[in-house]
This record gives sequence, C-alpha cells and structure tokens, in this order.
Amino acid sequence: MQKAMLELRNVSKHFSGIPAVDNASFIARAGQVTGYLGPNGSGKSTTIKMITGLIEMTFGQIFFAGKPIHDDLIAYKRRMGYVPEEPYLYTHLSGAEYLTMVSQLRDLPPRQSAERIDGLLRLFSLYDDRHASISGYSKGMRQKVLLIAALLHNPDLILLDEPFSGLDVASALVLRSLIQELAARGKVVLFSSHELDTVERICSHVVILHRAKLVADDSIEHLRSLMKLPTLEKIFAQLAVEQDSPAMARQIADLIDA
Amino acid sequence: MHKPIEWLIAHLPLDFRVLYRQFLLRVIDLETLSIQADIPRFLGQFAGVLMMLSMIHTIGFYVSLASTRSPQDFLAVSWYFEHHFIATMMLVVGLFTVIAWDSTFPDRRDAMILAPLPIASRTLLFAKVASSCSIWLLAVVTLNFASGFVLPLVLGYAPSGLLGFLRHLTAYWFTMIAASGFVYGLVLTIQGLTALLLPRRLFLRLSAILQLATFGLFLGVYFLQPSLSSPPVLAETRNQWIFASSPSFWFFALFNQLNGTLPPALSWLAYRAWIGLGFVSAGSLASLLLCYMHTMQKTIEQPDLVPGARGLHWTPRLGNSLTTAIVFFTLRSLLRSRQHRVAYAFYLAIVCAIALSVARGALAAPGPGAITRGFLMSTFMMILFAVVGLSRVFALPISLTANWVLRVAQLRPTEKYFSATRQSLLLIAAVPWWIVAAALSLSFRPVHQVAAHLAILAVIGSVLADLSLIGFSKVPFTCSYLPGKSNIQYVFWCFAMAVIPIVALAADYELHALNHPRDLVVLGIILGLAAWGLWAFNRHRARSAVLYYEELPEEVITTLGLIAPRSFVGHGDGYTEIKHES
Repeated sequence: MQKAMLELRNVSKHFSGIPAVDNASFIARAGQVTGYLGPNGSGKSTTIKMITGLIEMTFGQIFFAGKPIHDDLIAYKRRMGYVPEEPYLYTHLSGAEYLTMVSQLRDLPPRQSAERIDGLLRLFSLYDDRHASISGYSKGMRQKVLLIAALLHNPDLILLDEPFSGLDVASALVLRSLIQELAARGKVVLFSSHELDTVERICSHVVILHRAKLVADDSIEHLRSLMKLPTLEKIFAQLAVEQDSPAMARQIADLIDA
Repeated sequence: MHKPIEWLIAHLPLDFRVLYRQFLLRVIDLETLSIQADIPRFLGQFAGVLMMLSMIHTIGFYVSLASTRSPQDFLAVSWYFEHHFIATMMLVVGLFTVIAWDSTFPDRRDAMILAPLPIASRTLLFAKVASSCSIWLLAVVTLNFASGFVLPLVLGYAPSGLLGFLRHLTAYWFTMIAASGFVYGLVLTIQGLTALLLPRRLFLRLSAILQLATFGLFLGVYFLQPSLSSPPVLAETRNQWIFASSPSFWFFALFNQLNGTLPPALSWLAYRAWIGLGFVSAGSLASLLLCYMHTMQKTIEQPDLVPGARGLHWTPRLGNSLTTAIVFFTLRSLLRSRQHRVAYAFYLAIVCAIALSVARGALAAPGPGAITRGFLMSTFMMILFAVVGLSRVFALPISLTANWVLRVAQLRPTEKYFSATRQSLLLIAAVPWWIVAAALSLSFRPVHQVAAHLAILAVIGSVLADLSLIGFSKVPFTCSYLPGKSNIQYVFWCFAMAVIPIVALAADYELHALNHPRDLVVLGIILGLAAWGLWAFNRHRARSAVLYYEELPEEVITTLGLIAPRSFVGHGDGYTEIKHES
C-alpha cells in the first residue's frame, strides 16, 4: 500500500454559482500535522466537508494514498476519522450509546470496540457520565465524544475542524500532544483552527485560505523567513486579514455609544 | 364581531402576545405536525375532524333515541349517550394534555432565553396557560359542536319548552367545560407536584414514564369501563365502586343534577364531581404558581444531566452490527424523543383502543368462543396501524445536524441499511402487536384456526412492512421531511371510507377460509407470494438506491431580471447610486 497522503487537485465548490472554495490544491503528508487556516467564511469547513465526502466538489479531485477518494468511497471512509466544527450529536443517546452506535456502523469487532470505548472514555474523563444523555453534556464533553468517535477505528487520515472548541485547558493540552503523537505514528492529520498560537506549536506545515482561494501553502519556518515576520499571527494578518482591527473596534464602540 | 376582538388584542401587553404566539406554536408542536407553519390551517383541520365526529355521534344519538319505544328505553338511551359524550370529551382532552405534556411548564430553553429578559413571571404563566387553554377550548367547542345543541333541544325543549332547553344547554356546556377542565387540571397537578417535589434529574426521568402511563390510563379507563345502559345498572351494588372511582360518571351525575333530572340516590356522584373539581382547581393553580415561582429557578440551577442508571446496559446483537445499530437507534429515538413518542402515540392510541375493545369483549364472555369477524378485523387493524404508523414516524427527523455521522460512517451498501430499517419496523411495530393479538386470541377456539390466523397475521405484518418501505431509502429519523403537508381531514375520511371496508372484506374471506382448508391453503400461498414478491422487489430496488437525507433539493437563487440592476460608486463622502436605463 502506498504511504498515506492526502492530495487536493484544483478542488472547487460553488454554491449557486458563487465559489466557496476556488481551485484549491495542496498536500497533507503522513507524519506531519497540516494546519488549515482562514478567516470566517473563507471556505475551510467546506473544504473539509469535501474531503470527508459529505458534500460533492464542483470541480477537481481529491486523492488519498494515491487513489481518487470517489473511486472507492467506502474503503476511504474506513480509513478516515472526522471531528466536525460544531459538536452536532444525537443528543437523546448517552455518550456510551452514541460511541457504540458509531462502532457498530463502522463494523468494529464488538469486544475490541467495547474495550476501546471504555478506555477512551476513562482517558477523556467521561467514564462516570457515559450513561448520561448527551443533551446534558457541556460543549467540552460533546467535543470529547466527537474526538473519541473519530479515533475509535484507528484511522489513517484524521480531519480536525476546530477540535479545541469548548475544551478546558487540561483537555486542550492533552489533545495538543495527542495530535502530535498521532502524526508521529504516521497518520495524516489535517487540522483547521482559528487558534494561531496552537497551530504554530503543533503544525509543521500550514495552508492559508482567503476568500475561497489558497494564499499560502508552506512550512511555517519557510513562511517566517520568506515574509520576514516573527509569528504565524502576523503572517496570517498580512495574508488574510483586511480590516484595521483597532479602527473597527473603535467604530463598534462608537456605534453602541451613540 | 371582529372589533371587540381586535380591541382586546390591541390592549393586551405586547410581550404577552409575542409569548402567547410562541407557546401556541409549541403546544401544537410545529416541528412535529407542521402544515408549513400554518397554524390557522392546522387548527381548522383539527377542528374539522372533531366537528365531523360530533356530527356522527349526534346523528347516532338522535337515531337511537327516535327508535325507542318506551320511556324507560328513552331514559336508558339518553343516559347512555350523555355519559358517552362526557367520557369522549374527557378522553380527547386527556390525550391532548398527554400530547402537550412538556409544553405546559417552561423548559430549560424557555428558562435560559426568557429569564434574562425583562419579562415578568406572571406574563410567562398567563401566556403558557392561555396557549394551552386555547387548544383545550377549541377541542371542547368543536367536539360538542352538534351534540351541544341537539341534546339540550331533544331532552330539554321537548318536555319543558324554552326554559328547559336553556337549562339543559347551560348544564351541558358547563359540564363539558368542567369535565375537560378536571382532566386538564389533574394532569397539571400531577406534573406540577412531581416537578416541585423531585430533583430535576429525577423529574426528567420520571416525566416520560408518567406521560406514557397517563396515556395508557386514559385509554384503558375509556375502553374498559362499563357503559351506562340503564338506571338499574347504576343502582346495582357490584357496580358502585366503578361509578365511585370513574370521573366520567361523576360528571354525568353533575349534568343531570344541573338539569334537574338526577335521582336523589345518585346525588353523591355529583358531589364527587364538585369535590374533584375543587381539589383539581386548587392543585393546578398551586402547581402553576409554585412552578413559576420555584421550578423555573430550579430548571436553571439544576443540570439536565440525567445520571447514569446503575442497571443493566446490555445491548443484544440483532443480526449484524449495522442492524443492531439501526434497531437500537430507532428504539431509543422512539422512546426518548417527545416528538416521535407523541406522533407514534397517535397511532398507538388507535391500536390500543382496538386491542382494549377486543379484551373487553373477551373478558365479558363466559368462556372461549369461535373466531369472529370482529376479532379478525381488530387484529388486522392493530398490525396495520402499528406498522404504517411507525413507518410514517420514521420519516420525522430527530436531529438533522447530527446526520453527518451516518454519512461519514456509511460503509455498507444501501440494501443493508434497507434491511436494517425493515427489521426495525418488524421488531418494534409488528412483533409486539402480533404478540398482543396472540394473547387476545387465547379466548378463541378452535386452536388450529387461531394458529392459522396468527400465521396469516404474521405474513400480513411482513407485507405491510414492505409496502410501507417502498421508496423509503432512508435511515429512520434522519431525513429532512416534515409531515403535516397533507390534509388531515382528507386523509382521515379517506382512510375511514377505504381501509375499513377492505379490512372487513379481508376478514370475511379469512373467516370463510378458516372453515375451508383448501381456501386456507390458497390464501396462505397468495399471501406468502405477495410477501416474498414485495420483499424481493424492495431488496432489488435497494441495490441501486442511494440513501438520502435531504427531502428537498438544494435551493438555487434565481432572478427574473425585472428590476434594473443597481450599482454604487464610491467617493470621498460615501456612495452614489448609478441608475441604469432598462
């Protein structure tokens, strides 16, 4: 089997003729964490949904391990784990029931998946609440359920769309290390986030999207030296932020004061 | 007529009007029963069905009364119908309160959204009560639309003239409002006290059980209590405990007390109605006040997190892992989601009513008897409503946003999902009601005919399941379809006109076949072939089908180009519009 690698070639998605993602091409390699950045509405989540197969591309192709994902979508889905941007879950189920259902949908061996679910629930400090309804879970607890569901089948490709959303500091630190550990074990990790500080710490490579187009696809180190800027935040501000933030803040304050 | 209403509405506080409308939406539960969010249309259809029922009941009352030949018969028939009208009214309002179970008191969403806003608790209270009472009064008025006039006319005007008519009219409407108010208040009191006394976590768990228990209680009492056939039946000592414990008899006595025809020996029943009304009024008022003073705060302070039950969390494997996942997902959704529970309860109400009617007949019989057409029809109808009802409820989404997990983890072909859905339908709808039918059939003989009927019923269950799933390429509860777009009246009456005669014909044929072995074999072969053919057809169709989650195609923005495009040009001071020539 070819070494796992995710590749997007000229991928576009149009909604009613308006491009949400325009001609995006990049590669996420095994063994490294690829950061996927962009302002709100730039097309990050749309790209990730195309990679998961949840929405169809308008143009382009996506390859995983050298094969177009749509050639055998089922085989591709077996190797993919996905944490969506919003913690949307079937809230009438308990955490344990939800994870059991996911393991059954993925046709994992019952005993192995039960052990894995129990172990992950303990490690993510959800074990005591495993039989409680998800409707009563906090945002962080729901995020943990999503993470467990994404990792349950030991995927080769891990797509993380804002995975730190709602997590407390301790859990966020664990997740940060976990992402690096998974990449070190040869997984392809595509990580979308607004937390530039975190991205700078854990990603070796970043892809920056602005107004549906890729504006950067390089290692953070190379971007720093190329743009002569000290931090990822400054690089991002130069490439993808248009407004004068302090001026805008003043305008907002003026408006509510008036 | 409209002017005073408009004046009244205009003088109601704005926050009350806004909340009233919002709560009315929730009583009706637009997400479950929406007719494209058209409340007047939905209420009109709801009222239409009840008015038609009222017409049918009233015609039955008039015809029965006209065919009596003695004053004793006349009294027996009039008493029977008086009690029947009251009991039906109480059942309808009872079922309505069960349906609106969770919308009576503010939930966590209400508390979280409304508590920070400058809205007085009493406004919330009045808006909630007003919205619930609107539907309740609509049910009272429409269900008594015909009988509320004809009964006082026949029983009041004929013997005593205009004054007698007016007295009967007042007594009738007062009794109906009091009886339905009693049921509404009773449920409110039980709910309020439970919410007040129990910790919120426990209340959440118990509430769903209480809802189902109340539902069963209303149906059970309505269908199992003896009908009032004559005054001597009321006087029998062995019946006294039933009358003493059944509120519909109390209000029957109240009606007769108010219209001046109650025998003194039955006054105690009317007093029970007054006492019951007093208790329930005080209880519901206290519940409402305490709820808004105390429970709303409790709702915010105490988490909704229901602690894990210490009991068994065993999930038996049903076939392959996909079938296990889908069957348990379906079962849990049905048991835990109010919307789905309530929607299926509508069908189950009919199924339970049929089952209880058969049970009542069986209980009254001295011993096992021959299989009757009524029994065959009843069991057909039970399976029909259970299977078709559940398949309709399958189309209701539970959480569209969470469907992504099914799509991401869709690792098996559609036919496997179809098979899992079919098994869910059979296991959750057909099998339990087949078992009920088998239990009911214990009071029939000969055994070989009962066994043959049960075998036929099992095949019919399979046929109905496959018929219900033609064109259904979905996982239960995951598609974006919202029901309520059909005309309830149209569906209701078409069903009554078409399905009941077909079921009657089928029952006649089966009854004949049970006594003619050759015909029975032919019937078995035809049904078996139909079941196999439908199963094979659906399986073949599922091989090329694609599971879908969106009922409606993605909206595309189109313009007619009738308005000239507007554009703006920027300059130092702002923007100036450029007008285009069209």
